[in-house]
Amino acid sequence: MAAMLVATTMAACGQDDGATSAPKAPATIPELTKDPLTLSFIWFDWPPAHALEAFANAEYTKVRPNVTIKVNTVPNANWHDAMFTQFAAHKTDFDIPILDSQHIGEAVTNGNILDITDFVKKNIDVKAYNPYLLAAYGQYPQAETGKRDENASLYGLPLLGDTWTMIYRKDLIGDKPPQTWDEMISVAQKCQADNPGVSGLAFHQANGSDAAAVTYNTVNAVYGGNLWDSKTRKIDGVINDAAGQEAMDVLVNKMKPLTAAGSGNWFIDEVNAAVAQGKACIAFNWIAASGGLLDPKQSTLGTTREEILDKLGFATLPSQKTNLVPLGGMGMHVSAYSPAANQAEALNFMKWFEQADIQKKWAAAGGVPSRTDALESPEFLNAGPFNQVYADSVSRMRDMWNVPEYARLVDIENTNVNAALNGAKTPKDALNDIAKEQQGVLDSGSRKGGGGL
Amino acid sequence: MSNPVPLTTDHPGQVASATPPAPGRSRRLSDRGLAVAFISPALLLLLAMSVFPLLWALYLSFTDYSATRGGPAHFVWFENYTAILTSAQVHLRALTTLIYVVGAVALQTVLGFAIAYLISRRTHGRGLLTTLFLVPMMLSQVVVGLFWKFMLDAQFGVINSMLGSLGLGQVEWLTRQRTALISLIVVDTWQWTPFIMLIALAGLTAVPKYLYEAASIDRASEWFRFRTITLPLVWPLLLIAVLFRAIEAFRLFDLVYILTSGGPGVSTETLSFHVYKVAFLGFNTGTASAYGILMVLVVIVLTQLYLRYLNKLKED
Repeated sequence: MAAMLVATTMAACGQDDGATSAPKAPATIPELTKDPLTLSFIWFDWPPAHALEAFANAEYTKVRPNVTIKVNTVPNANWHDAMFTQFAAHKTDFDIPILDSQHIGEAVTNGNILDITDFVKKNIDVKAYNPYLLAAYGQYPQAETGKRDENASLYGLPLLGDTWTMIYRKDLIGDKPPQTWDEMISVAQKCQADNPGVSGLAFHQANGSDAAAVTYNTVNAVYGGNLWDSKTRKIDGVINDAAGQEAMDVLVNKMKPLTAAGSGNWFIDEVNAAVAQGKACIAFNWIAASGGLLDPKQSTLGTTREEILDKLGFATLPSQKTNLVPLGGMGMHVSAYSPAANQAEALNFMKWFEQADIQKKWAAAGGVPSRTDALESPEFLNAGPFNQVYADSVSRMRDMWNVPEYARLVDIENTNVNAALNGAKTPKDALNDIAKEQQGVLDSGSRKGGGGL
Repeated sequence: MSNPVPLTTDHPGQVASATPPAPGRSRRLSDRGLAVAFISPALLLLLAMSVFPLLWALYLSFTDYSATRGGPAHFVWFENYTAILTSAQVHLRALTTLIYVVGAVALQTVLGFAIAYLISRRTHGRGLLTTLFLVPMMLSQVVVGLFWKFMLDAQFGVINSMLGSLGLGQVEWLTRQRTALISLIVVDTWQWTPFIMLIALAGLTAVPKYLYEAASIDRASEWFRFRTITLPLVWPLLLIAVLFRAIEAFRLFDLVYILTSGGPGVSTETLSFHVYKVAFLGFNTGTASAYGILMVLVVIVLTQLYLRYLNKLKED
């Protein structure tokens, strides 16, 4: 309540010009300052955030010695709030917000980030990217899966690509990963039965962030479902169609029984902990968060990286009716409320960061690049055993909605999928509630009072 | 040397004005001016940080304003209030909050009073025991939430490990509908029972000893002394502690956020947690303001009813 009042009061006292569209960044980078300057990012607290700060301070300062890079981090669950409460106050302590691809609609509609279309045209080699990655991390309105609209505006550039990898125990299920979703479930079932104390599966089920929602969306995609019809903005009747119902049934009735008791609130760290402690046969996690699995200090699977890799395998997700995988990762954007000197520096950083050699260095430092040449480079492919998984997954990615109502849509999905996974709702009721409530959010644009309930 | 001032007078105000300023004080700063100078920083802070935001929230509660979307706020009058009061989502959270408040406060009252009663009967080590019991209350709610989250973890937590060593099965403390709310109540009770204990202890030590001595002479039983002397004299003070705890429990947020995030599903979402979601997920500031104002009104009305009961009790 207090925080809300502070935010609204600051908004009231701020320059409330009623802007509802993003201001434009200049096509040419303005003259950069020679004075000491701190370029601030905001991200959530995970290994890539620390890797970015170390990498940028080591490399960017070679070309801009007067600049210090600071990556401010917040807990994952506070990430959206931390950025958008500052946007609401029209004053940010960060220059480059790292937005999830789905946050773009909200930020663009509210005029919180710069429109960098002209800047990109003049400074970025867009042909060097897989078009969908460029679209996913910067384009609004949203692209169809695998397509980029050349005429749409761009509001960001890729910072970190990501998707799910399947992590499997080679010593328990063999070297060859399961190829289909059904096969994966039966292999996990057998592994669990053969190895008491080890659960068949580990995956995200928590009701915070987008944890449970991404899990359902992944299974939904694999079983041929859709989240919505973006053209007609129809959710009810789409997400809960036969394919959607089958996906929810598979998730709750076939996959959930293979997870550890009490795993209903697991997210990235808990899944990693289960794998590192040898408690799961097959697990699913974001590639960018998987580096710690190879650290012998954090693992009971071996005393060296090689020993761990003898037991752990990384593979692309199994397919079923489709071969789609979830799009993760984030883009860099420029805060509309940053001082002019910082905005200029932010644009310069983005131009620098998207160069081919820098992208390869970023890959070697633990990042996941988006330029095709960097993705195919030995620097990236040799940096981690899961990097080939990412390279193979790029053409299979599907994202969620990036509409302004994203935060509420994902909360509805998270809470209902979490309820189904933990026995608080039947799978059918949960899915129908998602469809009904999400449709209500999309349809409530014209309603005056009571929005958000 | 100044003239002597009469000690008594029929017009004390005149005496005050006749008093010369203390040596060294500026003649331009009157007593009233000095009072205003001392009070104004606190007053300005109160106005800026409490009164203005409250009035601003009241204004926003009648509008469709959104903090992130910006633009002018349009008056929707009582539409936000109507929507909240008729929402099934809000009713569900209100029920969860009610169960939580009643469960937590009742448990804390019984335990807090029992501990205070036992401590009050000790002559040695009372201070040390009281201090030790107060430790949980001094911790931050976020810290308490985090370490209880680890302790209650079904796979890696110490609670299930202890249950396992006793031959009992694993309990999914935070991920099942029934146990999640109970876990919240238990954690809140662990932290806030000392508060009730402290107030009850103050009441117990204030009971005149001669009453017990008189009862002993009349050979009254222990239960009779407790029922007719201890409880009636401590009860009003205990009720004040219950009031404070009920208000605190009513606006519970931190523990829910850390321990369950409102889950499984929304089964441990309290009203405060729901307000947070309305305010920050969709940035529906007008609705969230109305929601907050309604919560304040509920607390004010219940407190007034409660205080009336307390006054009646004192009069009786």
